[in-house]
Amino acid sequence: MNNNKTLTSVILLLVGCGVFHYLIFPIFTPKEPGWFLNRYVYFLLMVAYIIGYNIILNLKPPMFFKATTVWGVGYYFYDAVLHPHIPWTLRITYMMLWSIGTFLYITQDPVTFKEFRKPIVKTIVGDYRMARIVVFIALPVLVGFATYQSLLPKFEEPVELRTVHPAPPATTKVHGKSYTLEGLQNPFRIDEQDKYKDSFPFLDADKQEYVKYITEGGTIFFQNCHYCHGDQLNGLGMFSHVFNPTPANFVDPGTIAMLRESFLFWRVAKGGPGLPNESTPWSSAMPPWEEHLKTEEIWKVILFEYWYTGWHPRTFDEESSSGSEKKKE
Amino acid sequence: MLGKKARSLAAFPLGVMLAFAFYMLPGVVGMAHAKQVFAESAFAEEAFAKEAGAEEQKAAEEGPKVEWSNDVFYKDWEGNPLKGIVSGAPAPELTDTDYNHYDFAPSRIVIWISNQQHLYMGSFVLAVPIFVMVIEFIGIRCKERDPILSRKYDKLAHDLMKVSMSAYSWTAILGGILLFTFITLFPGFFKYLASVFRPVMHVYALMFLAESGILYVYYYGWDKMEHDPFLKWIHCSLSVLLNLVGTVLMYLANSWATFMQAPGGIDEKGRFLGNIWHVIHSTLWNPVGVHRILGNIVFGGGIVGAYAAYHFLNAETKEEKAHYDWVGYVAMFIAVAGLIPLPFAGYWLMKEVYAFRQQMGITLMGGIMAWLFIIQAVMVGLLFFGANSYLHNSMSRVKGSHRYMKYVKYMILLLILSFTMWMTPHTIVMTPAELKEMGGAQHPVVGVFGVMSAKNTAVNLMITCTVLCFLLYQRANKKITVPWATVGNCWLSAIFVWAAANIVYLGVYGYWLPANQRVGLSVPQVSSTLTTLFVGTAINSSMFKDADSYGEIEWGNQSKVGAYAMFLLAVAFTWMMGLMGYIRSSVRLFWHVTEVVRDNSPDAYTLTIGEAGKILTFNALFVWVQFIILFWIGGLSGKKAKAHDEVPEAVPVPAQQQQ
Repeated sequence: MNNNKTLTSVILLLVGCGVFHYLIFPIFTPKEPGWFLNRYVYFLLMVAYIIGYNIILNLKPPMFFKATTVWGVGYYFYDAVLHPHIPWTLRITYMMLWSIGTFLYITQDPVTFKEFRKPIVKTIVGDYRMARIVVFIALPVLVGFATYQSLLPKFEEPVELRTVHPAPPATTKVHGKSYTLEGLQNPFRIDEQDKYKDSFPFLDADKQEYVKYITEGGTIFFQNCHYCHGDQLNGLGMFSHVFNPTPANFVDPGTIAMLRESFLFWRVAKGGPGLPNESTPWSSAMPPWEEHLKTEEIWKVILFEYWYTGWHPRTFDEESSSGSEKKKE
Repeated sequence: MLGKKARSLAAFPLGVMLAFAFYMLPGVVGMAHAKQVFAESAFAEEAFAKEAGAEEQKAAEEGPKVEWSNDVFYKDWEGNPLKGIVSGAPAPELTDTDYNHYDFAPSRIVIWISNQQHLYMGSFVLAVPIFVMVIEFIGIRCKERDPILSRKYDKLAHDLMKVSMSAYSWTAILGGILLFTFITLFPGFFKYLASVFRPVMHVYALMFLAESGILYVYYYGWDKMEHDPFLKWIHCSLSVLLNLVGTVLMYLANSWATFMQAPGGIDEKGRFLGNIWHVIHSTLWNPVGVHRILGNIVFGGGIVGAYAAYHFLNAETKEEKAHYDWVGYVAMFIAVAGLIPLPFAGYWLMKEVYAFRQQMGITLMGGIMAWLFIIQAVMVGLLFFGANSYLHNSMSRVKGSHRYMKYVKYMILLLILSFTMWMTPHTIVMTPAELKEMGGAQHPVVGVFGVMSAKNTAVNLMITCTVLCFLLYQRANKKITVPWATVGNCWLSAIFVWAAANIVYLGVYGYWLPANQRVGLSVPQVSSTLTTLFVGTAINSSMFKDADSYGEIEWGNQSKVGAYAMFLLAVAFTWMMGLMGYIRSSVRLFWHVTEVVRDNSPDAYTLTIGEAGKILTFNALFVWVQFIILFWIGGLSGKKAKAHDEVPEAVPVPAQQQQ
C-alpha cells in the first residue's frame, strides 16, 4: 500500500513538474511580466501543487523522497525561475545553504533521520539490488565527468575578488592642495540633509544658490560623466557595456548612499589610476578627473549626484567620531 | 498592649536622636583637635607654598619647561583638540634594528600565534568562572526544592573549576611566552608601549595576583564551605568577586589592543599627555570589552559543550550518558544566551570603528578585509544552524514535544531564507559573461539583499526564530494549566508576529532613508528581537506555574546529530574568534599604533585570504590539542577518585560504610 502511494507521489511529481515547466511556465513568462503573470507566482503555484496533491491524496511520501523533492525544488528555483541567472559563485552559495536547510529538515529528530537513511542503507547492503547497481555505476561515471569538466580548457576571463570600496588614504592632494579626508565637507552643501529640497520652487535666497550649484553640477555631469554612469545615474550609460567592472550605479543603495562626500571627492579626483593596490588600479576605467575638472566642479558634480538620486551623504555623529570632553559645570 | 505600642513609638525618636548623636560624636570631639591640626597644616602649607613659589620663580627665570600638545583623539567641549601637558617621549621611528626575527617563520606570524593562543586560553579561564558562578547560584537556589538537582549543579560547577584551574596556569604560561615573544621580536615597539602603559602594566600584574588569590580560596575552599548555608553563600559571593577581578584584568589588557587600533591620550608625535585614563579609555575600549565578555561566554560554553558531547558519545552506562547529556544542555544554554546579544555588541564595535576612521571602516566592510567578513557571515550562519539543530534534536527527546515538532520545518525554512539574505554579497564574484547576462553589477532581484538594511533584518529574524525554538523547547513537556493560558498564548503569538512584522517593515523602510538615519533603525529592530527574548521568556515561564507534565526530559536520549552539532558549534566558535581577532588587529595595516607608530618591519603586509586562513586553522587546531590535554589532566584526578570509591563486589562492606 505504502509503495503504491510512493509510486503515485513520484508519478504525480514528475508529470506535474513536466506540465508546469513546459506548458505553464511559458504562459507566466511574457515579455512584460505583470503582477500575476510572472515567474515567481508560477513558482508558488508549482509548490502549492506539490504540497496540495500530497495532502489531498494523503500520500505521506517517505522522508528520502520528501527531502530529495525539497532539494530539487530549491535547485529548480535558482536554475530556472530566478531571472536573470545568478553568477555561479552565488548559485553555489545558495545551493549550499539550501542543502544545509534540507539536512536540518532531515535531521530534525532521530526518527526522521533514520527514515531518511533507510533506503540508503538498504541500497548499500544490497536489499535494493537494482538501485545498488545503478548507484555504483553512476557514481564513478559522475566523478569522471566532473573531472573531465574541470580539466577541460576554458577561455573565460578569470574572476577576481575585486575590492569595490577601497579604503581611502588619510590625505589626498588635488590641484596642488592637500586635503585631509576625515571631516572634509562639500563647500557647496548648505544643508547637510537637503531638508529644503521638497519646498521647491518656493526657495529663499540660500536655497536658490544651492539649486544653482546643483544645476552647474548637473551640466558638468551631462558633459562628462553620463556616457558611462548613465543619464539616470544607474550605471547604464551608452559605453557601460564595454567595461568590466561596469560603471558605478549611483541609484543603488550600496554605492554613494553609503559613503561620505570626501570619499567621492577622492575617487572622482584620482579615478582608476589613483586606486590603491588592493583594488588593482586597472580595475576602473574612470579617468582622474582632477586633470579635467576644477576642484569646485568636482564638488558640484558630487552635489548633483546626491540631489538627483535622492540619497544623502553618509554622516556620523560628532560625539562618536571624537572623544568629546563633556562641558564641565 | 497599647502601652507597649506607645513605648515603642516613643523609643523611635529617642533612637533616632541617639543615632544622630553617635554620628556627630566624632565630629564634636574632634573639633578641638581639628583646630590644632588645621593650624599646623596651614602653617605647613604656607611654608610649602613659599618653597614652591621660589622654585616656580626660579623655573620661570630659566624658561618654560612645560610643553602643551593636542590630543589625537579627545576634544574639549568646544570641539577643539584637547590639550595636555607632554609627559612622555615621542614615538620612535622604528628601523630594521628595532625588529628581530627567527629564520623558521616571520615575526608577525610568531607573535600572532602566541597572542592568539594566550587569548583563547584567557577567554576560557575568564568564561568558566562566569558560568560556574551561575551554575553554583542555581544550585543554591534549588537546594530546598530539589536537593539532588542542587547537588548535580554543585558538582558540575566544581568539576568545571577543576578544569579551569589547570587552564589558568596554562594561560599564565602562554602569557609569559607572549610577553617574551613581544620583547624579543619587537623590542622597539614594546619599549614605546611600555613607556605609555607603565602604570597599567603594574596594576595588571597586581590584579593578576588578586585573581589568583581569590581563585585558590574559591576552589580549595569548595568542600569546606559546601555544607553550611551561610558559608555557601560566601563561597558563591567569592565567585562574583573572582569575575569582577577577571573582568578588570581583561579590560586592562584590552586597553593595549584598543590603544593600538584607535589611540587617545597622546599627541600626533606619540607623546603621552599625562592622563592615563585617556590612554586606557580610547574610543573602542568599551565596545571591545563588552564584545569580548559575551564572546568569552559563548566560547567557554562551546568548549564545555564539546567536552560533554565527547563524553556523551563515549559513555558506556546510561547514567553517564544522562549526565553528559545534561551537562551539554547546560553548556549550550549558556553559550546560546551569550550568542544572542553577541551580534549587537559586534555591531556597536563596528559602528565605533567606522566613526573613528572612515578609512578603517571601509577597509573592513568594503575594502581589503571585506572577503574575510563574508567568511565571518558564513560562520555566523553555521552557529545559528548548529544551535537550532541542537534545540530541534533536544526537543525530540522530551515527551510531549510532538505538539511542537511539526513547526520545526517552518522554522528551518525561515532560518534558511534569512540566511540566504544574510549571505548575499553586495559585490558578486562573477565572470564577464555573467555580468553581461545580469545587465549590471547588481542583480535586479537578489541585489537588494546586499546592503545593511537586509542584513539587519536577516540577523534579527534568525535570532527571533532561535528564541521561538527555545521557548517551544522550554514548554515541550508542559501541559499548561494556568487559567490565563489562552490569553498568555495569544500574547506570545502577538509578540512574535509583531516583532517579525516590525523587523521586516523597518528593514524595507531603511531603503528609503539616508545611511546615518538607517543605522538608527537597527535599534528598534534589535528592541523587537530582545522583546521576544525577555518578555516572551517571562510570559512563557510564568505559564509553567502548576503545569502538568507529559513526562520528564529523557536525559541520555539525545540524538547523535545533536551531539555533533555541539562539536560544530565549538569548532565554529574557535575558528571565528580567531578570524575576527585577526580582522580587528590587521585593519591597522602598516601601523603598530594607528597613524602614530609605523610598522617598518618586513612583515608590514596584509596576508592573502588563503594564508590567513591557514594560520587561523592552525591556531584553532593547536588550541584544541591543548584543550584535550587539559581535559585529560583534569580527568585524571576524577578517575583516581572513582577508582578509589569503587568497592569490589566480592569484598564485604563494613557496617559503618553501609547506609
